[in-house]
This record gives sequence, structure tokens and C-alpha cells, in this order.
Amino acid sequence: MRATAKVLLPIAALSLALPHLGSPASPAGTAEPRQSISPSSSSIHLPWKQAGLTDREAAAHLLNRFAYGPRPGEIDAVVKMGLDRWFERQLAAGLPDGPLDARLKELPALRMTAAEIARTYPPPGRLLVEARRAGVVTWDGETADLSDAAGPETDARREMRDAVQAWAAKQGYRTQKELGAQLVAQKLWRAVESENQLAEVMTDFWFNHFNVSLTDNQSRSHVLSYERDAIRPNALGSVRTLLEATAKHPAMLLYLDNAQSAATDDAPRTFTPRRKPMQEMDGQMGEIMRRLRPQGLNENYARELLELHTLGVDAGYTQQDVIEVARAFTGWSLLPTGARREAMERRLDQAGRRGAMGRAGFEREGEFLFRADQHDAAAKTVLGTKLAAGRGMEDGEQVLDLLAIHPATARHLATKIAVRFVSDTPPKALVDRLAAVYLQSRGEIRPVLRALAESPEFWSRDAVAAKIKSPFELAASSLRGLGAEVDDPRDTVRWVSDMGQRLYAYQAPTGFPDRAEAWVNTGSLLSRMNFGLQLAAGRVRGVDLDLAALNGGREPAGRREALNDYAARLLPGRDLKPALALLEPAVADPELPKKVDRSTAVEQVVGVILGSPEFQRR
Amino acid sequence: MSTTRRLFLKAGGVALFTLGAGPQFLARAAGAVLNPSGRRKVLVTIFQRGAMDGLAAVAPVDEPALRSLRPRLAMTAARSAEESALLDLGVGFGVHPSFAPLLPFWKEGRLGIVHAVGSPDSTRSHFDAQDYMETGTPGRKGTPSGWLNRAVGLLGHEGSPFRAVALTPALPRSFYGDEPAIAVTDLADFRVSPSSPKEGGGFEALYRQTNQPVLRQTADETFRAMSMLTPETVARYRPANGAVYPATPLGQALRQIALLVKSDVGLEVAFAESAGWDTHVQQGTVNGTFARQSRDLAQSIQAFWTDLGARQDDVLLTTMTEFGRTVKENGSGGTDHGHGSCLFVLGNRVDGGKVHGTFPGLTPDALFEGRDLPVTTDFRSVFCELAGKHLGIQDDAALFPGWTGRRLPLLKTA
Repeated sequence: MRATAKVLLPIAALSLALPHLGSPASPAGTAEPRQSISPSSSSIHLPWKQAGLTDREAAAHLLNRFAYGPRPGEIDAVVKMGLDRWFERQLAAGLPDGPLDARLKELPALRMTAAEIARTYPPPGRLLVEARRAGVVTWDGETADLSDAAGPETDARREMRDAVQAWAAKQGYRTQKELGAQLVAQKLWRAVESENQLAEVMTDFWFNHFNVSLTDNQSRSHVLSYERDAIRPNALGSVRTLLEATAKHPAMLLYLDNAQSAATDDAPRTFTPRRKPMQEMDGQMGEIMRRLRPQGLNENYARELLELHTLGVDAGYTQQDVIEVARAFTGWSLLPTGARREAMERRLDQAGRRGAMGRAGFEREGEFLFRADQHDAAAKTVLGTKLAAGRGMEDGEQVLDLLAIHPATARHLATKIAVRFVSDTPPKALVDRLAAVYLQSRGEIRPVLRALAESPEFWSRDAVAAKIKSPFELAASSLRGLGAEVDDPRDTVRWVSDMGQRLYAYQAPTGFPDRAEAWVNTGSLLSRMNFGLQLAAGRVRGVDLDLAALNGGREPAGRREALNDYAARLLPGRDLKPALALLEPAVADPELPKKVDRSTAVEQVVGVILGSPEFQRR
Repeated sequence: MSTTRRLFLKAGGVALFTLGAGPQFLARAAGAVLNPSGRRKVLVTIFQRGAMDGLAAVAPVDEPALRSLRPRLAMTAARSAEESALLDLGVGFGVHPSFAPLLPFWKEGRLGIVHAVGSPDSTRSHFDAQDYMETGTPGRKGTPSGWLNRAVGLLGHEGSPFRAVALTPALPRSFYGDEPAIAVTDLADFRVSPSSPKEGGGFEALYRQTNQPVLRQTADETFRAMSMLTPETVARYRPANGAVYPATPLGQALRQIALLVKSDVGLEVAFAESAGWDTHVQQGTVNGTFARQSRDLAQSIQAFWTDLGARQDDVLLTTMTEFGRTVKENGSGGTDHGHGSCLFVLGNRVDGGKVHGTFPGLTPDALFEGRDLPVTTDFRSVFCELAGKHLGIQDDAALFPGWTGRRLPLLKTA
């Protein structure tokens, strides 16, 4: 069993307490990062001097890797504070974030429980059904198209949609589009403004590692609470906690189908209802029930848990292991929606009073529901470890215990972290060391990050600027570098999509591949250049920037001066001589009309810097 | 536009210097080095998202079960020219009248149909079924790459930056993977903007000199692509042979694919999509949702094929959809998620004028789970055949990992 004791509240207390909670339910045993303190007492020593970097170069490297790039003046501030101390504070992730918190208050979904979000932002199809029930619309061919976002636009369609929307707004419903907009807005705001940058970078890392996707209709409305409740609070904590939080969250349960995975017909179950099993029912009712019940064992979550989340591909497990793991997770499901939910909640209340369901082994944690009636209770063998027969939810939990501290998991995660923070092809010695630290700390994330930052490989000259920024990193670092304010993130987010990263919408469970070739291709490179030019020209809507203020209010005398000034500000801590030699001919063109007004010239210079190869690297 | 443009050609590492040359000339020059014929075989794929009702598109004409299970939706074969009903194909099937624009291709023997085709996985989730069809690995969600990306990787020769293009807002799952692929909805966006007096010139020099190899090579390809496809080329494009594309997303996507084919920019795999096939409610017969979607599909394909003219020999087009729909109509005049559907294949080498595959009939015992048209042809049998005979990809096991089935003969051997 895992080392930390888990407190299972009686189900009655949970269901009573939940509706009154102001803040969303978080999985038992998770800690808020802002209250936690760096677990190490000894102070950190970052070896950049040994690697031959100057203080400013080192500060830039640190901010390019453990943050979304430097803000104006931040290099000097970090040097002054001390790089060690900066990193220690980032690991602790407890810095006050007042202005950001105030901004995030504009996003109501962030304060709703997962259930409230699902209720408030229903999918268009369900809205239509309810609108029809309320007599707002009648069914016809055109109405049917409303639920299909890609259908052709007609007047009738528009009219109908307006009617449905007006009715929905009166009922307090909001659109899923609005929910998605809040999700991406908070990500961009946090990346640009949060003081706790490492926590944001690691939230991005773990979300991508445990990817779920907005492209999946079923899990779409749960993606926001997934990041907020399962990922962000644990981004610097323990992998075991992340595993359980993601495994039990509706977004993952739906995305990888575990919610519908059930014991096969021939297997004994943790709980067998006394009434005749539905598969033995006769006649039409039996036929309907057979269709409705879960379709037997579904291996999707089990396979990706092993291949993507923990051990890694080719880590020596077999197809039989996948099946055994899938069996261990049968019954890991979620509360149903609609009328069935109320019925289920009533029965769970009874269970809390030690009724049949409680004794039968049903358990509820937030939206998560362990269905004892679907759990395969026969004995299992996972990676050589025997799980005894007759158990319930603890089967899956024990599998997570095994996987979290498995040497293959340590290697897999150490490699992924090194790829994210050092280079696309990290040195083996570094990966070995990080994997060892991971195992020593039994899957704690902070010690691994600390070992990484203290490694000579991280500070090697070869590693500096070796990574290509993801489109999101490019956008966030541009905005931070310019000292820009983002009032409305939507247009920026659209650019991030154009550059090849639809936020929260990578369809495959692998998450976005984190290497240069995947981020840079013909179409997306052009978008990167255009983003730089458009942003600098003030044509990215919702972004407020002041290029003159960025240069201390000084107006450069000419293009060359503008280039010198702005390159120093946007590429701080880098050796500018080679960069300037390249940039100069790009902006100083004799063919240019002599009379270009100065602000336009500055915009062009800044656009070229942001679109340059140098700025694509971190 | 600068008067001198340097063009790097990856193949052979030759650098060409040209003076005052127009982009068409450069494109031809590029093609000449890459491929002696200057032309490429192109596979064009259209994904019909939402699950097309294969029985509404191509219905068995003598099937009493269809009429009794679909009292409101079933159509009969036309007995006279005036009657708007199924267009009889003369092989025991009739197509929905909206597919009329494609009928000439059927008669000429270039259009083939595969019926009762689909995925062996029984999921009725759009998301899962589309995912499985696009990865080509039914039942496995973790496959990192899409089958069309793997196809590009198996072509066995150097390619142009335009070798894999999706006319979609985001890269489709089919194109996920190691091979570079472009997603673009409007080719006119393929430029540096706001355009400086030097066009991409400033960036071109910058990227040529960076020591980051991925950035340098990609930029080289990007500017090569831009020189092949200037804004003028895109703006000047006029469909040939009187082709008229519908003003729909699909019509415009196919129009741009034709532009790419005819511009000889090295296109080899193209992807377009058609949405709106999820006809749960008021599916309709001669009119209605299904009819409208089908008309768009048929008119778009017809315009595309007409526009291609002499280039038809190079192109093979296929449709696909994630699953079919219930044989029985539902209470809302529509159909629900089913299993097997049908697809269309168009090309001069297609063994056309035939309905391929095995149509199992619609008797209760023939139906999948007692309700749906079964899948008698795995979609991979079709895709392997097309990729194999048209694109010359012989390694079916690499194209569809874990699959050991056989190709469905659809193309005549040259």
C-alpha cells in the first residue's frame, strides 16, 4: 500500500458536504501548492559558473526553461536576488499572485465544482433537447442542424439558434464555447502573469503527459476541472498522487473509456445484485438492458496507463499485463448525469448509512464512483505481483502503487523531464541520475527538478537555447518579453492554434510531441514569423503593448539603433553580436522607402526579432 | 518581389540561381529535379464526419426489410424519369438522387463503391471511431501517428513541402506523425504578413544562417514552398473545363486541392472533410439534411474531377466515414449510430461501375447486434489497396501495424 494514509469520508458526509463547498472538491490527500514548502532543508547550488556562463546568461537560461521567458528587467532582478534563491522560491511555489488572482475572478467556471460546470455549460445537443421540451423550438430538419456546429449557415438556422440561445441564457445556461474560452484564458493569463512560473510550466508538462482532449465530446466539459483539480495542485507533488487524481477524474475516465469498462460476464464481481442479472433477462427488456450495460472489459486506459503514463513503451510488460490492469480498474467510473444521477445519489446516501451499497463496496469521491457491481473480483497478477481475489477499489490503487515507483516509470519520466528542460536528446548520464533521484524519493517531483537544476548537463553551453519553443511558449514569452497586457486572450490563442498547437485539443493520449521537428513545419513556421510581425504591429487583438515604454520611453534614432535597443531587451542574456550581424540586413534594407514613420519602423524591427530564429529558441 | 531568388533543392543538394524567373518556372524546375515526369500520384481523401448513412446513400433496391424498417426514409428505384427517387445503378443498388452529379463517372467505369465497409471495432462513439479510422488501428487509442502520415513516410522518396496537405483548420489525426504535413484552410494565407517591402526576404536570410538545423531546413522548405505558391498563383486560379465548385467548405477545399495538383508543387496526399452527417433527426428523403449533405459532396467531387481534366490520371479520390447508421429509423425521422457504411472511390484506374465488397442483406440474422449493417470489409483492406496500387506503398504491415488482413481488389493493374 502507499505510504500516505488516505481518508475515505463516509459517503453520506461527502454528498452532504459537497454542494456547500465553495471551492471545488479535490482528491483526498492532495496539498495546495501555495501552502507547501520545499521539502529540502539544505540550500540549492546551481553550477552555472562552473559551466562558464555569466550571471546574466544563467538567469536567462533559468527563465527560459523554468519560466515562460524573462519579463522586462527580470534578468537583473534574478541576478540580484540570486539564482539559487529564485529557483528555491519557484520550487516552493508559494509566491503571492494578487493581480493574477483578481483577473482570474473574471472566469466563473474556475470557481464551480465539476458537477456545476457540467450543469451550467451543457453540450449544444442537450440544450436543444431541453429547449424542445420547453416548447422553444419544434423539431425539423433545420433544428437538427443546430447541434452540428459545422452544418451550413442559413437564416432559419440562425434564427433558431438565437431563439435557443436566448432561452438558454434565461435558464442560466452558458455555452461550451464560453467554457473553452475560460479554459484557454486562464492558461495564458497564468503563463504570462503568474509569479509561480515553475508551477505553471509543470502544470503544462503534466497535463500534456496525462493528456485529455477537448476534441472528445464526452470529456470536453470536464477538461477545466481536470487541470484545476487533478493536475495543477499536484504539479510539483508526487507522481502517485497525480496518477490517482487523473485515474479518478471524469475527463480521463471518459477520454480513455474506463468509465465503461466492466468485468466480463464470466468473472465474479465484488458485488452482485440479488435481482436477476440483466444479461439473463428475457424478451425486449433484456435486449435493451444488454445494450445499455457497459460493453465488458475496455483496455484503453490500462494500456495507456502503462505505455504513456508510467512504464513507457517497450518496458517489458505484456498484453496479459494490460488485461490484468484493465481488470483491476473495472468499476472505476463516474456518477451518471441527469435523472439517473439523483437516483444514484439517493441510493449512495443510503449506502452512507451503511446500507447495501456501502457494504457492497461502492465508493464515491466527488464525481468519481467505484461501482462494485462492475468490478472483477477474481485474483489478478500485475507485473508479477499477485492481487488477491474478493477485493474492490483497492485493486486499482495497488496497481498505481506498483507503477508509481517502478524503475521503468522512473526512467520514462526522467527522460521526459530531461527532454522538456534540457534538450531533445538529453545525455544518458543525466537521465540515469534523475531516475535514481526519482526512485530514492519514491516519485516526488521536486527532488527530481532540483537534481536537474543542479546538474552540469542543464548548464552546459550545448543546452543553452537548444530547445525550440512550443507555439504556446512562443506566445507567452513574446508577451512577457514585451511587457504586454493581455486583456482578451482569444486572438492570441487563435494564433497559437495557427502555429500548430490547439490548446487542450491534442486528440491522441500521447500529448503533443516535445521536440523541434514536431513543432516546426512549413505551415507553422510561417505562422510564427507572422505572429511576431502582427503582434509587434499591434494587430493581435486584446493585447495591450507599448513599445516606446519598453525602451524606457526613448525613441531610437534609426533602424540600426532600434535593432540594438530592442534586441537587447527581447533577447537578454544572449551574446547579441552574432544575432545582430544577422538581423541587421533583415531590417536595414536600402530598397526600403526612405520615409517610413518611426513607429512603423520600430514595429517592423520588433516583429523581425520576435519572428527570428533566435527568438524561437529557449 | 526581389528580382533574384535563390532556390535550394534538397534532392541532390543542388542550388539553382535563376534570374527574373516566375514561380511557375521555378515550380517546374523543382519538379524536374524531384521527379523526371514533373508529376506526382496524388491520393485525395475526404472524411465524412458524423457517420454517413450508407443505406441512404447506396440502397439495395430489392430489399423489403428496408422498406419496413424505414417507413419514412426508404426510397424506391425510379420507375420513370420524372419520379425523383433512387437512381438505379443496375446492379441491385440505387444511389440517392443527390449523387446524380457522380453518375456519369459510374457509367464511365471510374467510380466504384464499397459497401458494408467500416471498422472491426464496434464503438458507436464518433470520437473513438474517427480516431480509430484515422490512426488505422481500431481499438488502440495510443497510436501516435495517423495512417496518412505513415503513408507519406513509406513513399520512399524525398518530397516537397507540399507533399501532405490538409485543407482543414487543424492538423487531422490522419496526419499526426513524424512526416511534415501542412494544415491550411486558405492557400492565400501562405505568405509573410504584413508584407514588408522585402516579402519574406528578411526572414529568408535570417533563417538561412541560423545554426539550429531544424529551423534552417524548415525555413528553406517554407520559402521554397512560398516561391512555388505565390499569392498571385492562388489569386489567379480559375477552375478549368467549366467546373463550378459549391461555395461550401468542402467545395473550397477541393478547389484548392485541384490548384495544388495542377501547380505541380509536389502534392501526394491531400485531406479534406465534410461535416454534418450525424442525421439523428429528420434525415429526409429527396430533400432534407441527408440530401443537402450528399448534394454538397457530389457536386464538390464532380467539380473537382472536371477541373482536373488531363490530371485525372494522377489522382485517386476516396471518401470515408467513421461508421454507418441503424437500419431502422428512429422516432425523430432519423437514424442512430450504427456500424457498416459505404464509401466511394474515384479514379481512372478504378474498377468502377461496381459495388465491391460483400453486401450481407438486411434480414434480422444478417444484422450486426440485431440492428446494424455489419462490416464485411475492413476499411484497411480498401486503404491498403489504394495506397499500394496508386502510391506504390507495398508494406501493408507498416501502414497498418497489427493488421494481417488482405487488400480488396479495387484498382486495375496498369
